[in-house]
Amino acid sequence: MTQADLTTPDAPYLDVADPTFSIRSAEVMAARDASWYARTPYGLAALRYDDVQKLLRHPKLRQGSYRWPAHSGVTGGIFAQWWESMLLSQEGDTHARLRRMANPAFSPKLITDLRPKFQALANRLIDQFAAKGECDFIADFTEPYATGVICDLLGLPFEKWRELADIAGEMGLALGVTFKQDLPIVEAATARLLAYAEELVAARRAEPSDDFIGTLVKANADKSQLSDQELLDMIVLAIFGGIDTTRNQIGLAMAMFIEHPEQWALLADQPDLAKAAVEEVMRVRPTVTWVTREATEDFTYNDLPIAAGTTVHLFSQAACSDPAVFANPDFDITADRKPHFGFGGGAHHCLGHFIARGDMTEALKLLAQRLRNPRFNGTVEWLPDSGNTGAISMPIAFDPS
Amino acid sequence: MKVDVDMSICLLHGQCVIAAPAVFSFDDAGGLVWLSDVDEGLRGDVEAAADACPEQAIVIG
Repeated sequence: MTQADLTTPDAPYLDVADPTFSIRSAEVMAARDASWYARTPYGLAALRYDDVQKLLRHPKLRQGSYRWPAHSGVTGGIFAQWWESMLLSQEGDTHARLRRMANPAFSPKLITDLRPKFQALANRLIDQFAAKGECDFIADFTEPYATGVICDLLGLPFEKWRELADIAGEMGLALGVTFKQDLPIVEAATARLLAYAEELVAARRAEPSDDFIGTLVKANADKSQLSDQELLDMIVLAIFGGIDTTRNQIGLAMAMFIEHPEQWALLADQPDLAKAAVEEVMRVRPTVTWVTREATEDFTYNDLPIAAGTTVHLFSQAACSDPAVFANPDFDITADRKPHFGFGGGAHHCLGHFIARGDMTEALKLLAQRLRNPRFNGTVEWLPDSGNTGAISMPIAFDPS
Repeated sequence: MKVDVDMSICLLHGQCVIAAPAVFSFDDAGGLVWLSDVDEGLRGDVEAAADACPEQAIVIG
């Protein structure tokens, strides 16, 4: 059975490969009203809350991007090797083993110790531009903040942030459409990051600690559970996966609040709302706008036969404004909401979510108190509005408090 | 040791099934089942499951 046979011709069609495609478009909302799924150039897209919720953790679906390097025409080299071996690309027993080994390093208990460091980092960055009443919110805050958080996590001095951000950015070219042309840059960046991870591991072996790397190094004591290479791969994943996502998500948060100034004022008055604010931003404006799964065998869902190998896009962002679940989907940090899918779900639920939630909560709390009345102060430059989105630059002005 | 899961917040991610497979599992219908009275020898695994739960839905008594 081919993928085309799976779908009824009257299901809506969404061209997710079109560079101008937006998951926030009226076209997607109309498709969601008409049908639980849409046809796309690459398999299906689930559009509604209940279906995304169920399919995220469906036993017949696996994580869908594990073959990304091969699909991009890249079959060898250290990036492809890392990508195909790392946690997110694994399933079943190997995935469970790696996840069990990684979990202690991402425990909510470790995050409690990091919270004061997040606050100090946010204040330090805000201090540098607060008096001017303007900044590029991405270059001056979200990028150094997201990378600084990783420095704190790894036990590196803040001054390393630029170098780490550059390496992660170069490695991130692997996720773009020009991956194959950019391969030499991607390979060099991956090699540098692996070398970095090796240095960090050597330091903790010489001087054991209970921090993030120290905890992973302890898990590596039994090499049948976490081999030396798997240890390095995990550290690279933490750095690679933690920087761009957080940078983009805090930028998206600022954009939402600039469009809803009364919500920003509310957050400034009631800092305890920051935790809920993070969740609400990730519901309406997540950086990861959809996730991808792949059918491991033939199965039927909602009377629709889905063949092994079919790609299933789960449209997290569209699902999280589904009127069947969110009667009033407008941005409101005080509303009691059902959970969003901004961290994915199921076996591959984001490993770093306690850190991300913690660092974004502290950032929003301090930003709302120190940057009053924020507004755009020039043209915001955006990534495409699908896949992993966010602002590249965001000039803002504000009233220093 | 008593183990309970707050099913009002559990989202069936299955991280507990990964962390402590001797205690938590999915039934054929995809529902979560768990041992409510667990041998102390498994405390480490249960605590790891409680820690790993994205929704923090596991209660150890």
